Amino acid sequence: MATRIGVDIGGTFTDLIFFDDESRRLVVAKVPTTPDRPEVGVVAAVGSAVPSDVVARTAYFLHGTTVGLNALLERSGALVGLLTTEGFRDALEIRRGDRDEMYNLFWQPPPPLVPRRLRLPVRERVMFSGSVRTPLREQDVRRAAEVFRHEGVSSVAVAFLHAYARPDHELQAEALLRECGFEGDISLSHRISGEYREYERVCTTVIDAYVRGRMTSYLTRLEAELAELGFSGNPLVTRSGSGSMTFGEARERPFETIMSGPVAGAEGAGALARQLDLDSVITADVGGTSFDTCLVLEGRPQVTYEGRIVGLPVQSAWVDVRSIGAGGGSIAHIDVGGLLRVGPQSAGADPGPACYGLGGVEPTVTDAALHLGMFGSGTFASGTELDRDRAEAALRKVAGALELGVGDAARGIMNIASANMANAIREITVERGIDPREMHLFAFGGAGPMMATLLARELEIGSVVIPPHPGNFSALGLLSSDLTQAAARTRIMPLDRGGLAEANRILGELFTDLEARQTGRVASQADRLREVKFDLRYVGQEYTLTIAVTSEGGRVEITSQAILETFTREYERTFSYVMDDAVEIVSVRATLRTPLPNLALTQISTSSGGDRERSLPAYSFSKNRTLTFRVIARATLATGESIEGPAILEEETATTYLDADFRAQVDPSGALFISPSEAPL
Amino acid sequence: MKSIADTVVTRGGVSGPKVHATADPITTEIVRHSLNSAANQMKQALIRTAFSPVIYEVLDFAVAIYDRQLRLLAQAPSLPFFMGTMSFCVEAAIAAVGGEGALDPGDIILFNEPYGTGSHPQDAAIVMPVFLEEQGDETLVGYTTIKAHWLDIGAKDPYATDTVDVFQEGTIFPGVKLYRRGERAEEMYRTVLANSRMPREVEGDIKAEITGVRTGAAALLRTIRRFGLETFETSVEQMFNHGESTVRKYFERLPDGRYVGSGEMDSNGVEDDPVPFEVAVEIDGSTARIDYTQAPSQQRGPINCPLPSTVSASRVAITMLAGGGEAPNEGHMRPIEIITRPGTLFHPVSPAPCFLCGWPAIQAIEVIYGAIAKAMPRTVPACSGGDICGVNFYGARPSGQPWTAGSPHPVGQGGHHLGDGGTMMHISEAATRFPPTEVWESRYPVLMEKVELAPDSCGAGTHRGGLGIDFFFHALEDMQATTTVERTRNAPWGLEGGGEARPNSALLRLPDGSTRPIRKETRLNIPRGATLEYYTGGGGGYGDPNERDPERVHADIREGYLSEAHARKHYPQAFAGGKTP
Repeated sequence: MATRIGVDIGGTFTDLIFFDDESRRLVVAKVPTTPDRPEVGVVAAVGSAVPSDVVARTAYFLHGTTVGLNALLERSGALVGLLTTEGFRDALEIRRGDRDEMYNLFWQPPPPLVPRRLRLPVRERVMFSGSVRTPLREQDVRRAAEVFRHEGVSSVAVAFLHAYARPDHELQAEALLRECGFEGDISLSHRISGEYREYERVCTTVIDAYVRGRMTSYLTRLEAELAELGFSGNPLVTRSGSGSMTFGEARERPFETIMSGPVAGAEGAGALARQLDLDSVITADVGGTSFDTCLVLEGRPQVTYEGRIVGLPVQSAWVDVRSIGAGGGSIAHIDVGGLLRVGPQSAGADPGPACYGLGGVEPTVTDAALHLGMFGSGTFASGTELDRDRAEAALRKVAGALELGVGDAARGIMNIASANMANAIREITVERGIDPREMHLFAFGGAGPMMATLLARELEIGSVVIPPHPGNFSALGLLSSDLTQAAARTRIMPLDRGGLAEANRILGELFTDLEARQTGRVASQADRLREVKFDLRYVGQEYTLTIAVTSEGGRVEITSQAILETFTREYERTFSYVMDDAVEIVSVRATLRTPLPNLALTQISTSSGGDRERSLPAYSFSKNRTLTFRVIARATLATGESIEGPAILEEETATTYLDADFRAQVDPSGALFISPSEAPL
Repeated sequence: MKSIADTVVTRGGVSGPKVHATADPITTEIVRHSLNSAANQMKQALIRTAFSPVIYEVLDFAVAIYDRQLRLLAQAPSLPFFMGTMSFCVEAAIAAVGGEGALDPGDIILFNEPYGTGSHPQDAAIVMPVFLEEQGDETLVGYTTIKAHWLDIGAKDPYATDTVDVFQEGTIFPGVKLYRRGERAEEMYRTVLANSRMPREVEGDIKAEITGVRTGAAALLRTIRRFGLETFETSVEQMFNHGESTVRKYFERLPDGRYVGSGEMDSNGVEDDPVPFEVAVEIDGSTARIDYTQAPSQQRGPINCPLPSTVSASRVAITMLAGGGEAPNEGHMRPIEIITRPGTLFHPVSPAPCFLCGWPAIQAIEVIYGAIAKAMPRTVPACSGGDICGVNFYGARPSGQPWTAGSPHPVGQGGHHLGDGGTMMHISEAATRFPPTEVWESRYPVLMEKVELAPDSCGAGTHRGGLGIDFFFHALEDMQATTTVERTRNAPWGLEGGGEARPNSALLRLPDGSTRPIRKETRLNIPRGATLEYYTGGGGGYGDPNERDPERVHADIREGYLSEAHARKHYPQAFAGGKTP
């Protein structure tokens, strides 16, 4: 156990959550995000919500930041220079030749992060085998250094072909740049990624160089401000690929923080799944503008090894969160052919849904839900009162065009939104050969608990979990993210004794590198777990499956036959057949994991008194008519208490809509378990 | 399809009956979305399990779901050029096995007859009838289908530009059951593999396709069960009407008239003369009529374009333009009429060779846009490089292991009223990616010397075209290649006063330094140490170059997209009064 603070910076609000080990209390707070200097909002949140004596004994400050992401979104990163192998200076601009919008004749890729005049070729060539075909010409690097100096380049990316197989030329280029007096940041592709595919690796290296300056200065300022508040524990940032890293490491590997904010919810779902001992979970994180879903298997969010953000690939571990434009703020409209569509346009936070009364006039999912009574009283605990008349006026626009009643239109909007979300879940599960009906659905985010029973019906899911503090769940997720470092290297070799020996040699190097990255004061070596994964495939096949391999302290001692059996089982589960062919190792992956002390949540009743219960009419999707719903403050429910739908459970950050034919029970963890009424709990 | 004198008119499924009142716009939207999602699930299943990079990396396939009347319910974003051909595949495949009555649950049909698929035999279609089982009754409700490129199915060469009849182009499976009631038909299966130079890869890809059609069938059935067959069917009618109305509204905005575009094939593959052709686009109210009746006679070489391929090119061109940026369904096809004349380039009669049928189809798409530009130049870009500049290498490794590898390549795109053209795959392969150099070199004895934008290769304009690319393939072992570089004799055109761009070209540089130009060639010998050099075409310019902002001209020079000499020649305004970049 340890006292810890989590701060997650969102587009509109900076969310804080802290767990005080002494009082066993969990406290949440929200302050407006300060986009120009995000650390100001962070410090304001900590200052206002956490007493200074608690700050002083806080062990971990866990942070989800969008500073790197925003630099990419706003194109406000560094002026980057790029050194490439001669003949390949345009890899960044040519990409892979495809179009993101394949039915759009006029689609244009976003402009490259490094302008062509700063993408400079160097005569050198390393082969796939690691042999040198053309030695590096020093004068090319010197000439480039001169151009970079003249142009005011502050950050240089070096990305040569096959550098993962032999990094010498990149290291040589770095030394030469320093020799020429370049004092800015340098990102070398082989340090960023040990995997092949040059466009993806170059792009990732350039992203690193692009956000490095902003990220470094932000973290340094924040660290200083936190110290001023009396914080002397370990400051950590969540990684795009799950887990967290020290500020020190984040300054060295800023590209790993790009998805730091968005993965926090998936991290929290992983921690809760482990606590509740649920093996197969799918998340439904419904915010204002998007619906995010992620598979959490055996307590860990599923990680992929190529992410994608603002149209750019990121060759790095990446929590596989899929996002579609469907959230509480998604706008309903009639398309050119006369169908009712919901999203992807969103009213966002400003002006927000019509019922917020902030000037929004387009009908949104939130307006439809309010009209149907799904928000209960329609008054948020924060004091915001939703405006039913404005919601109805907005809904009337689409209802009129479809010649429907306002209620029919509102039901239609909810049905379309939940069907779209359900389809996104089907797509992410079917890819792995998983049947969503056998999963537990974790619904959170401001609008997740409202959609929970609709999604359960749509997907025929028998078990839904609403975590405590669903509207702040992402910040809660921060509190439970382990400290991790990960590295990988592409090396194609047979899955046999010789291949395993070579894999162990590579693993030795990777773990040595990872240990060296440990710059914080976090934990002794003894607490660190070494995890090994292999990317495996049938010889001749392109696609790889990433398989966790049992290791003894990072050294694989089991036989290739045992690994083959795991691969075959996993392959069959995913693809429903197996082949007779030989299997080869494509990449070797090493992870160093330092678990933070366990954060076991227990239900803390924070009843504010007042009416325990009222009742209000609301529409039931189970019964296709308006019923009387009990409206209950969630905090008044006792552990073990069971509630039959129809009911609406209100709390500070979200509203749970419990349709008829569903039943909710309060778990000792504080989570609500929802299941169809006829099913045993 | 019906004949008028000696011409043939092809339309999308005719407008459906007036929709029953229960097909509300909300259920219809949910059904539409669920069907698109079902097609995406098929696509993901195929990509994840496919054996050859040509499917996984290059996305050389299409997946689609049809209803019982063979109307397109949904397709996943993949190879646009395959999309429009699939209904022909399904129709012919079912007719071949004896019609609906001969179908049982669990059957899977293989069909690759080029005059039915509109593709060469390597692009084999797998068709699965989908049955809804209710109270012991089994009702046929639709079909899931995948057409994907197999590495080899026994043509005279692994890839060929010089066939003289369809029998040289691959082994034909004219609609045979590969699975009967869920059981694999072993004799047929072995026959397929025995006819391939790359049986292991083909077997892996067949398994992936089977997984794909089964995934799609399950998703289709889930959607039908969710709403009941009756509601599903009325919603589908409404969905088609929706697609139709989207496209019709687009054409209502365009002025009526007949607009003619012209194109030219470099050669027919066996004779060296260019093959010019015309396509007329007739806008008639909300209908677009694509008229190929002026096409030349069918050719001795394999550039003949069977009717399904011609229809596909027309549908791709029109739905990209008028489909509102969304995945089309059968309804989107209804306003499109295609008129052809049997015995011609765009409606050849078997056994005319047609291995390269995709190439006239690619040209036809550009020519249709060229014709529409005459009515409304703002609606389309200027001409692109106009080809996919494909290459297929093959040989045997020192171990004796045969190998083959191929890819299309990006070209410059035409400038348009919204801005400069980019550099990407031809629109007919809009979702396709070319393989990474690092992956390519790990698998094949080819060293990439260069993959770089070619300065000055674009057409000048207020909005210039996109640049072409120089690709240099250096052979590390002896090998052979089939090259399919088209449109080398004609520069990509500009629009509204925009200039022409560099056309595609290629050459072979032998170890002794001698070179020779390459166009379409089969079994081109590339000895160790030789380099095959591809120069893909640029995009044509849009608008008068003199109107281009001098600042942008200077920026193009600074960034190395244009040389100063090129800029001075085409954009003198940027240098007026002694201005220099």
